[in-house]
Formats: sequence, structure tokens, C-alpha cells
Amino acid sequence: MMPQILRVIYSAFRLAMLHWIADPQWVIPNVIAPFVFTFVALTLFKEASGPFGLYAVLGGGMMGMWGNTLYSSGFAIEFEKWQGTLEEVVAAPSNLLHVIAGRSISNALFGLSNMVAILLIASLVFRVPLGIANPILFALSMVLTLLSVSALGLIFASSFVLTRSAQVLTNGLEFPIYVVSGSMFPIALLPFWVHPASYILGPTWGIEAIRTAADQTNASLSLWQYVGVTDAFLTFWLNVGVMLLITLGYVALAAFLFKKVETKSRRDGTLVQA
Amino acid sequence: MIGKTRLNFRSVYELRYAVTRLNQQPRETSSDKAIVAEHLCKVFNVTKGTVRRKKTQVVAVKDVSFEVEYGELFGLVGPNGAGKTTTIKMLTTMLIPTSGRATVLGYDVQKNVTKVRERIGIVLGGERGLYTRVNALDNLRYFADLYGVSVDVRDKRIKELLQFMGLWERARDRVETYSKGMKQRLHLARGLINDPQLVFMDEPTIGLDPEIAKETRRMIRELVEKGKTVLLTTHYMFEADELCKRVAIIRNGEIVALDTPSGLKKYVMDTSVVEIEGFGITEKEVGRFKEVPEVLAVSADLSENKQVLKIQTPKGSEIISEVQEILKNSRIYDLKIKEPTLEDAYLRLVEGSVK
Repeated sequence: MMPQILRVIYSAFRLAMLHWIADPQWVIPNVIAPFVFTFVALTLFKEASGPFGLYAVLGGGMMGMWGNTLYSSGFAIEFEKWQGTLEEVVAAPSNLLHVIAGRSISNALFGLSNMVAILLIASLVFRVPLGIANPILFALSMVLTLLSVSALGLIFASSFVLTRSAQVLTNGLEFPIYVVSGSMFPIALLPFWVHPASYILGPTWGIEAIRTAADQTNASLSLWQYVGVTDAFLTFWLNVGVMLLITLGYVALAAFLFKKVETKSRRDGTLVQA
Repeated sequence: MIGKTRLNFRSVYELRYAVTRLNQQPRETSSDKAIVAEHLCKVFNVTKGTVRRKKTQVVAVKDVSFEVEYGELFGLVGPNGAGKTTTIKMLTTMLIPTSGRATVLGYDVQKNVTKVRERIGIVLGGERGLYTRVNALDNLRYFADLYGVSVDVRDKRIKELLQFMGLWERARDRVETYSKGMKQRLHLARGLINDPQLVFMDEPTIGLDPEIAKETRRMIRELVEKGKTVLLTTHYMFEADELCKRVAIIRNGEIVALDTPSGLKKYVMDTSVVEIEGFGITEKEVGRFKEVPEVLAVSADLSENKQVLKIQTPKGSEIISEVQEILKNSRIYDLKIKEPTLEDAYLRLVEGSVK
């Protein structure tokens, strides 16, 4: 039998998926926008050599995944407020964090579908030779990155429990995090002082793992070369390991923040209208 | 050795809370009452202004104490902003009281949050509170999962509830295609998904047409017949009169009366109600009635074509000449002298003129 926590996460995930399916607007962010983005990115990188086509495609996909998750995780609380269901959900014995986690995963999955759409459009419509070196590790790292992005989204979601102006926070952070995590450009191209911020982001390591799985020469460009690791396979797993550790940290932090903000909002009446 | 203790209470309510906590040893599950509320108080901090922000305190519930027996249908009535919903939200653990304490089904609402939530159902009025893009089955399945209803029980219970509410035939239709009445019945089904011992209903008939409201009241009565305890808030006095065993009237965050409906009516036994149906009655004229010393309470519904004015007075028919004088510029269709109802008792209690 499924443990109660997983059941709540799955149920929230399922309900969010049902809402997505019921709302035909998903075509715009998940098909039309990726198509336009891929076209623009590939036009910009047309003259570049090396793996830049792949960078453009993966960057676009990450942007969709991250944008979807960050926006939607925070929006999950607002969605419940709009539906008028927040009070019923809060009054249930389940932990609000698990409900939001389920929604966050479903949103990240839609972001992943965005990534898949971009890969397909780039490969089939624009004939970009993607040449993914290890498709299994590529898919695995993509799914794990998805979870890491969802966990990061949960931290932002906790701010929405306190205030609706948290929307400004997520809107403001969407692009900086996208750049700092090296989604489109390798971190090496970013100023040195940005690097610490990059390395505390789980998705940074996830993207590195995805790139290494797609293009094994990426291993020689990664941070691990400074400690003498240049083997693609080992680099991949080191990146995945660090990402998972950071993700666990995110989950712990999100759980702590949710508990704090839930108690505060029950005291101040900010979560439910009195 | 006695150390220095610095007391820094933000308000008198927090001080009262601290005293309450000191005086009461924590109690666990044993209670012969479904609900025990002791001096519940809720104060909200509100920030006003944009540039010069000023913090003020709003007292939503000042001092509320009552008890509800197992199997009782208990009514909490009062005007808008009286503190009904805030009281319910404290009892359902959605808000933490500023002071006072409460137990629900024997569990402390502050210390045993999950235990309370597992055992109660909540039905809020209005059309919102449902996922309208999905069907009734998915709505109920979701909440069953949030309440940890075991999978083998879940599907059977969903079917039973939807059949009980007369929604089984439309169970696979999206909720957005439901009528107001169907949505309200689905609300009730959702509130019962965990087979709660105690159901909190916050204005469950608000906005419903008379026939659907009557149907909803029938279902509430059936729940009590099945052994559930119900705490109901309502604006409609006839509803409280018809359904509730006991009614508490709340005004400005305090309970001003608590009795059976017939017991509450005794508050106004010394008066008659002069009911006037007319046209062209103005707010100014209603105000003039309030200034008449023998008038204890006035209520007016001036919104419809046929306006209704109710005046409570111990003078009965002796006041008719004054009525005619005040309403000389309005049209009077009908004038009756009536026995007071629960609504009249309520009006006097919320206007604070019961002596």
C-alpha cells in the first residue's frame, strides 16, 4: 500500500494533470512557445561550431522547465485561492507541502514536455544533429533535474503562503536563475563572482549531467576537471550526486519553511480569510 | 532565587491568553462534549496606509465560550462581521486563537491539530470551494486522499455519498456544468468524505433558491438523525429555528445569548411586532422609528417593491397612531400585530436592547 505522503503527492499530481488536460491553453506554452524559441535560438547559434546547437536546444528546454515549475509552484497557492479550495485543502489533515509538491512535480513534468517538444522540433523540423551520446543517462538526468527544479520551486511556494506579492519574487528570479544555473551558456562564461550562486543551485549540476550524457566531451569542461576527474561517466555521476544532495537540502528547507509560514499564517489569518 | 522577568505583552488579549494557559493543565482526549470553547479570542494585526504604514489591531472574536453535546445540531448566528466564521476557523484549526482554548471531540485545537482535522468535516457555503474543471468523482477522490481514507473504502464511500446527494447520475460531468444546488450538495458530500463525527457548516444555504435551501436543510437534518454532530452558522433565523436544538447569538465577537429557539423567543415575550407592508418608506423614516422610546428594535427590508418594516414594541396596537404619523408620506398596504419570532428575538439581541 502506498504510504500516505506519496498518496497525497500522487493525488495532487493527478488533479493538476487533470486540470492541465481540461485546459487547452497548454498548447501555447508547450508547443507554440518552444517552436518559436527553438527557431530563434538556432538562428542565433547558426554560425557557431561545436555543441552550441545542443546548448541552444537544451537551454530552451530548461527555460521552459524552470519557468513552468517556478511560476506554477508559486501559483499553486494562488490557484487554490482562485478556486476557493484553499481553506478546504488547509483544513485537511495532510501536509500542505505534500499537496504543493504533487502540483510542483506535475508542473515540472509539463516543463519536461516542453523540453521534449524542443528536442523534437529541433531534430525533426530544423534538422539539428543532436547526437545524444547516452540516451538512457540523458533521460535519467533529465528526470532527476526535474525533481531538483520542483524542490527549488517548493521553496518559492512557501513564500506564497505568506503573501500574494511573492509573484513579483518569482517573476524577478525566473531569468536570473536561468542564467546563473548555466542553462543556456556554460557557467565558465559567467563572471567568477557569480559561480558560488551557480553551485548552490541544484539545476546547475543537473544541466551539467544532462550535457555530459548528451555530449561526453563536456566532461573536460566541467568543474570536476580541477580535481582531476575528466572521465565522462564519473563526471556524470558526480554531478547527479551533488544535485541530489542539494535537492535533499531544498526539500528539508522547504519543509522547515512551510511549517514556519503555515503556523504564522494560521496566527495572522493570511492563509485563509476570516 | 527569583529572576527578573520582563513581560512584554502586545495586548490585553495576549495577557489573558497567558493567564488562561497558566490556569489550565493540558487535557487530552477525554471529553463528554463534542465542542468546548472557553474564552476564545482572536485579534488580527492590520496594517493601514501605503507610505505611512500604521499597525492597528482588529478584534474579530472578543470572548466566546460554549459547549456542544454529541449528536446536537448547534446554531451560531449573528450579523456580518460578528465573529461566526472566525470562531469556526479557530475550532477547525485554520486559525490559532489569540487567547482562550477549545477542544473538539476531546482534542485540543492547538495541540492536536491533525487529530482534530482527521475527525471533522467542513462545509462552506457558496459556489466556490470545488474544482470546477474536473468532475465530482475526481473532486471527492482528491479530498478522500487528503483525508487518508483507505482506497478500498474510498470508492465505495464516494458512490454512497453521491447517491445520497442525488448526484450519482452526473458524477462524471465537470462540476462547472452543475447548478448551484448540485454544487452545494457536492460541498456536503465533500464535507462527509472522511465520515466525520462532527461537521462544521458555515452558511451552507447562502445564495440558494428556497427549494434547494429546503433540500439542503433536509439533508442536514438527516445527518443529525444518523448521529453526526453539526455546528451550523446561518443568517436565516427561520433556518436556525427549524434545525437547531440550541442557538448562540454572537454580536461584536461575544455571545450575547445561548438557548433553545423557544428559550430565545422568551426574551421578546413582553413585546409585539408591528409588521408594516408599504411603498416609499425611506431610511430616514426608519431612523425616526428608532428614536421612539417605546420602540425596542426595528428591521426594514426596503429593497423590494413591497417594503416590509418590523417594529418591536411593548405597546402593541397603541403605537399605530405614531406609525401613521411617521409614514404619512409613504403608502401602507398592510399592518399587522404579530407574536414575536426567533428573528425578532435575534434582532433585539443584536441591537442590544434586551433588558
